[in-house]
Amino acid sequence: MTVEVQSKMKLPQLTSDKQLTFIKLSVLSMAAILSFATRLFSVLRFESVIHEFDPYFNYRTTRYLTEEGFYKFHNWFDDRAWYPLGRIIGGTIYPGLMVTSATLYNIMQFLNITIDIRNVCVFLAPFFSSLTTIVTYLLTKELKDEGAGLVAAAMIAIVPGYISRSVAGSYDNEGIAIFCMLLTYYFWIKAVNTGTILWATMTALAYFYMVSSWGGYVFLINLIPLHVLALMLLGRFSARVYVAYSTLYCVGTILSMQISFVGFQPVQSSEHMLALGTFGLCQLYAFTQYLRAHLSPANFELMFKALVSTLLATLGTAAVVLTLTGKISPWTGRFYSLLDPSYAKNHIPIIASVSEHQPTSWSSFYFDLQVLVFLFPAGLYFCFSKLTDANIFIILYGVLSIYFAGVMVRLMLVLAPVMCIVSGVAASSLLSLHVKDIEPKVEKHEKKKKHENNLVFRSEVGAVFVCVLGCLLMSYVFHCTWVTSEAYSSPSIVLSARAHDGARIIFDDFREAYTWLKMNTPENAKVMSWWDYGYQITAMANRTVIVDNNTWNNTHISRVGQAMASTEEKAYEIMQELDVDYVLVIFGGLVGYSSDDINKFLWMVRIGGSTERGAHIREADYYTGAGEFRVDAAGSQTLLNCLMYKMSYYKFGLVYTEGGRPPGFDRVRGAEIGNKDFNLDVLEEAYTTEHWLVRIYKVKPLPNRGV
Amino acid sequence: MMACTSAHHRRRCLSNVKSVTMPVTTKILFCIVTVLYIVIKSESLSVDNISSDVKFKNVDRTIDLTSQLVKITSKITLENSGKSPVKNFLLAVEASTKNNLAFVGAKDNSNKDLRIAETTVKGYDNVKFWRVELKETLNAGSTVSITTDTVFTKALQPYPTAITQQEDQLVKYTGNLYVYSPYYVTSQKTNVVINTKNVESFTKIKPFSQQDGTIQYGAYSNIAPFTEKELSVHYKNNSPFLTVTRIERLIEVSHWGNIAIEELIEVEHTGAKLKGPFSRYDYQQDHHSGPASVRSYKTFLPASASDVYYRDTNGNISTSNMKIKKDSVELDLRPRYPLFGGWRTHYTLGYNVPSYEYLYHSGNDYLLKMRVIDHIFDDMQVDELTTKIILPEGSTGIKLNVPYPVTRLADSLHYTYLDTKGRPVITFKKTNLVENHIQDFQLRYTFPRLLMLQEPLLVVGFLYALFLCVIIYVRLDFSIHKSEHHKE
Repeated sequence: MTVEVQSKMKLPQLTSDKQLTFIKLSVLSMAAILSFATRLFSVLRFESVIHEFDPYFNYRTTRYLTEEGFYKFHNWFDDRAWYPLGRIIGGTIYPGLMVTSATLYNIMQFLNITIDIRNVCVFLAPFFSSLTTIVTYLLTKELKDEGAGLVAAAMIAIVPGYISRSVAGSYDNEGIAIFCMLLTYYFWIKAVNTGTILWATMTALAYFYMVSSWGGYVFLINLIPLHVLALMLLGRFSARVYVAYSTLYCVGTILSMQISFVGFQPVQSSEHMLALGTFGLCQLYAFTQYLRAHLSPANFELMFKALVSTLLATLGTAAVVLTLTGKISPWTGRFYSLLDPSYAKNHIPIIASVSEHQPTSWSSFYFDLQVLVFLFPAGLYFCFSKLTDANIFIILYGVLSIYFAGVMVRLMLVLAPVMCIVSGVAASSLLSLHVKDIEPKVEKHEKKKKHENNLVFRSEVGAVFVCVLGCLLMSYVFHCTWVTSEAYSSPSIVLSARAHDGARIIFDDFREAYTWLKMNTPENAKVMSWWDYGYQITAMANRTVIVDNNTWNNTHISRVGQAMASTEEKAYEIMQELDVDYVLVIFGGLVGYSSDDINKFLWMVRIGGSTERGAHIREADYYTGAGEFRVDAAGSQTLLNCLMYKMSYYKFGLVYTEGGRPPGFDRVRGAEIGNKDFNLDVLEEAYTTEHWLVRIYKVKPLPNRGV
Repeated sequence: MMACTSAHHRRRCLSNVKSVTMPVTTKILFCIVTVLYIVIKSESLSVDNISSDVKFKNVDRTIDLTSQLVKITSKITLENSGKSPVKNFLLAVEASTKNNLAFVGAKDNSNKDLRIAETTVKGYDNVKFWRVELKETLNAGSTVSITTDTVFTKALQPYPTAITQQEDQLVKYTGNLYVYSPYYVTSQKTNVVINTKNVESFTKIKPFSQQDGTIQYGAYSNIAPFTEKELSVHYKNNSPFLTVTRIERLIEVSHWGNIAIEELIEVEHTGAKLKGPFSRYDYQQDHHSGPASVRSYKTFLPASASDVYYRDTNGNISTSNMKIKKDSVELDLRPRYPLFGGWRTHYTLGYNVPSYEYLYHSGNDYLLKMRVIDHIFDDMQVDELTTKIILPEGSTGIKLNVPYPVTRLADSLHYTYLDTKGRPVITFKKTNLVENHIQDFQLRYTFPRLLMLQEPLLVVGFLYALFLCVIIYVRLDFSIHKSEHHKE
């Protein structure tokens, strides 16, 4: 009560300018706080824990960085992964994420704030989401006005497409990369608008941060040159753009080459060629304009033609020669799959096997963006209606990212911010258009009489429109909260289900198994599993793995796939060759966990069969005559006798899983397993978790002679 | 007691120095010093003589072998057969078991603890002696009855050393058939409690009798001092064989009304090792499967414990239950996986207790009275304990008083929220502990109460400085020239 009275008494004392600042500040800070808070569902429901697969690697490397220091981290050769090859961690990762959290951690330690490094990692993504909200406001403010900025900030705070990658615990590169990306864009727009070296350098620094944190920087370094090209084509190329781009390219490229994983790619690989070409073009364009100013039109024409033809010829031959000699790295698979969605599926099974590399379905656009999908075209209209250099940039960004998001689910992340920005522009423009109409302004009545006479029910229409838009935005808020809470806040390392009586059951089998491995196997034991679990095993169990989620060596993964797909004897040879001590499989048949190894098995077969040594493994052998993948008695004999099958279903044939079903009923596949009564010859069950989700087998040593 | 501890300390330092290579002369010098030192050290332990006046008239001994520990309780009737009054007597422990000895205690017939101290006797270098001070001097010809408790850890050997999942755990106890004593024992009886009828073999020296769960030996009469005769029992023992290999107990005292306790615990199943595979199917189908394995155990916390957490390096361990009872908080801790022979686990258990129950003060002088080690599970055996006590920043004049000898480590500093010069940390160590060691230590220190204001003032000062900076920044114009916007 008193507070209200006070604020009512105080507010009139502030000038309207101050009031506006106050409202802006409070809206923005509320959006920033909201974006942090909405990402905490999983922490509140479960605990402060790292999620999924890749974040475990990031967490492990961050811990290493904080414990051992930067130089050791930089020179780190990891012998816990890719046995016996190992992996040079320092040279094969984007260190931005780890350095960021280690820096935050060290600052806090210096201030005697004793926060665990795990908590720093868990809360880093929500923290950066708050920063993203602020940067979105700044960026949209540059494009349109402050009102649009506030709407966009509020939208990005809760957009599910971004939340999916940045909930607390989802400690991945994308969590900070979106912030870096938008920051770079903001500085770039600033640089283009002002043409100062200061802002261009800031862009380069932000770009460097982006490069250091995510491989998706390639999108950025293609988008900005594209913007410059578009400006050139539209005749908007100016000294401002020249200064901005030249500075950005020179400084940014040199900085980006400092990241050892990037190395010389900015001048060699085809993905960066657009930036290089545009840089050259900028110089030529500027040079031509200089010449034009100093030569007569006839001479200029001649010189221009000669210059262009020689230049094109040299560039063409150089490009061909460099590509042939391998100096310019060939187009990588991931890039091809961007242009041709079916490319990866046909050529590289390992890329296609990752679910986040699949093409996006229409429904997931709505699921991840909801009302933004409809506001986006309107926003584009408003951008076109008042074309500026900055608007062209945002139009390009929007259109390009829509295309890429359609190719790969993962890139929905890049689309979400631009959707928010453009929709923010749309919502703000529409609202400010119609809110004015609701209250008929008496003082200005005379001036606008001409227009207003044409429209009847002007204020009513305005009111209805504002109501409708308000409802849409409300539904957006509810939808986002619902999606966040239901779909994106599961740590996936701890599963939970509802029992029949509504009580919550927790399946903590993954950590159970990893802790068992850590505590009860020899320190140097080698664990074979499908690559999905590699990062988790090294991080949580601290054991050496054969393959992990850094799928850099196709043949090695293929070898593991072959072992899983072969019979026991053949698999034993491979396991001996790889020096395997323990084998780990994920089995969901007992509790109905569908993303287990049997459901991934066809990928193992495909990847196993994709190399020369695995030529004997043919996908067709694992199907029934009718071409079905079945685990019951009708299934193919090759499948029923392969190692993966045996490890998953060992002793499962005795278990009653569901009432009214025979023993050995697999609840995921909905079938009674076909091969029940078998023994393992070369393996022995070392550990199976409480709900049978993780099964660990020990590889028996070679039998003694004469036994 | 404390002198002994510090002597231990000095000795360690010396031997450390010795291991460094050095010139021959210094080496010799050091050898001499070391020898001298050892001589001094052995003399620093008191030397006693075995009085021929004292006799054990009757001893009723119970050897409790039902858990993983060997708990020997002896009811001794002490007789002074000499002329002069006796003030104390000696207890002895065999050379073969002295490394397993965790605890020795003595009580008189009104159940009061008697003072007890380690000692030596010339000529018996391998035997461990304890001198028990009697409450009242024992006059010539009279008797007094005393109860002594000794607890041995790791004295039960699993035999066979490895079993499969379905098998029962058999263990072998090897001890002394007679009471090992420096005195003449007139009459003695021994009860071996094993709580099982499954006995593979046991020493059969008449007179003996076997009743359900116990084996009785004796009475044997007129046994000479230091007589040893092997007593071995080989029997089924499926009680949990859990050893806490390491525990670090952290006590953080706050003068704002809270004491936080955190225990980092490493546990190993030290019974018969698991041979062959672990079958989850058998373990789930048949509740008698894995009889020697440990599924869960109970930990008792102080009744006022709150905010209990149970986690390990991979996060929260979701399999635990908490029951609040009248005089304690009972935690039913289930490790992530059942513990079979040779399997290990680790976890962190933490909770808060209100400080008014443990922290007393008068003026600026404080007294902290807490347990050196707390209950982990029944019949626990702890290999190594490190207790760390973090006191509030600015505490001085710290004096530690422990109920039994411990090794005190160097003090250190701990920095946490709003600290400037660090909080003093007292650390001490002890090996081989059992439940009998759950006793209070006392820590006295001085803390100027005005220092309590330091932390709030720090926050206030920081916020004040921050707002001041913002005010200055907003009020002043730092630009070199006025921007276009301002001119308008």
